[in-house]
Amino acid sequence: MLENFSFRTIVEYLPLFGQGLVTTVWLSALSFVGALIVGIVLCAMNLQRGWLFRAPAKAYIDAVRATPLLAQLYFLYFGLPRLGFVLPELVVGIIALSLNSGAYIAEIIRAGILSIPRGQVEASVASGMTYVQRMRLVVLPQAFKVTIPPLLGQAIVLVKDSALLSLISVAELTRAGQLLASDRFMPAEGFLTIAAFYLLLYYCIKGLAVLSSRWLGTAGARA
Amino acid sequence: MTKTGMIDFRGVNKWFGALNVLKDITLSVEPREVVVVCGPSGSGKSTLIRCVNGLETIKDGNLIVDGQRVGDPATNMTSLRTEIGFVFQSFNLYPHKTALENVTLAPIHVRKIPRAEAEKAGRELLAKVGLADKVNAYPAQLSGGQQQRVAIARCLGMRPKIMLFDEPTSALDPEMISEVLDVMVAVAEEGMTMMVVTHEMGFARKVAQRVVFMDAGAIVESGTPDEFFSHPRTDRSRAFLSKILRH
Repeated sequence: MLENFSFRTIVEYLPLFGQGLVTTVWLSALSFVGALIVGIVLCAMNLQRGWLFRAPAKAYIDAVRATPLLAQLYFLYFGLPRLGFVLPELVVGIIALSLNSGAYIAEIIRAGILSIPRGQVEASVASGMTYVQRMRLVVLPQAFKVTIPPLLGQAIVLVKDSALLSLISVAELTRAGQLLASDRFMPAEGFLTIAAFYLLLYYCIKGLAVLSSRWLGTAGARA
Repeated sequence: MTKTGMIDFRGVNKWFGALNVLKDITLSVEPREVVVVCGPSGSGKSTLIRCVNGLETIKDGNLIVDGQRVGDPATNMTSLRTEIGFVFQSFNLYPHKTALENVTLAPIHVRKIPRAEAEKAGRELLAKVGLADKVNAYPAQLSGGQQQRVAIARCLGMRPKIMLFDEPTSALDPEMISEVLDVMVAVAEEGMTMMVVTHEMGFARKVAQRVVFMDAGAIVESGTPDEFFSHPRTDRSRAFLSKILRH
């Protein structure tokens, strides 16, 4: 198969891949910001004592984790217009990724907060801090550090998941590969190329993870 | 209204499930008094002092601290806690803050003292506990004894009326115990009202006006350090003392 692998065709399609890559990067970035907001809100609901906020948050997180992203994507893609929201595919895709990743991020943040030893909370309570003060000054700054690496892991997952948006014809990276594969009937050229680009994105995010852990490791060391 | 102590337990009871961890505790600590609480493991002594600042809630009875009833909805616990310093067995310093920041955090954010003033006071307190050179060190860079001294300075930074110590030297290597006890003695000699859960009998003899011996959730015996150590009145306190004084 590889003896007639056509680099020339790949070069020919490079502008399309380039546009797809750029779209994947910014739609993933937007989705990640959306997911962070969704995650923070869900996590805040999930940490409340009463069930009024906690129960819906838990139900939502379970529903998202238990169902395929593709099903969620189609649910929004076909469901939103029925409710009267006719949105561009790209917007639907970003909403779907935000809502999906947000559920995972909620759990990552919750784990980070719960990893802070009980004694930290007791010390801040004993010094007369209010709930908001001890979250802001003691718990969240420490939780933030332990949360960064898994959050970047989730960012990598999100970038790969964004490939599914090709199925609702968003012109992102995977869509570019599909076009090449179907136009020229060259699946190897199409999909190996996008795989290489995803790998590149992966190393960029991983580089961020390494940098951030180095930075967090020196500032205010924990034994 | 009858005259009350700084800390006044009146018939206080507490349960953990079916376990009666505090049994009908009545105890009054006067202003400037130092009371040492001792007793075997699980006797309820930590629970006793954790009730004073509301880290534990009581089931019934009255606990009046600085004239306010703990657990009463009318009592603002957050503001009452600013008057009570609490030193933990495991220090519980904030690992992401330097020694100075640990000391100034609550004064700045809770007491609303201007930063410059709080830092000046913080430096003085760290110097007082012998850590003038560790102002910018993080807790992970300090020994256990140093961390506990920062923790004491952190409490003093709030200018509390009461200091509670929950086994402050139990997690320390033997050679670090005296540096922490010296600081506690200095605090006691300045007239702080203190309740100290400890088995450090030297400390008790030196500064305590009273030793309270607890067993199985109840106060079994209470007296001056001299009375208690030299002439324990109950079998249980004698058995306890023979164990801790053996070595």
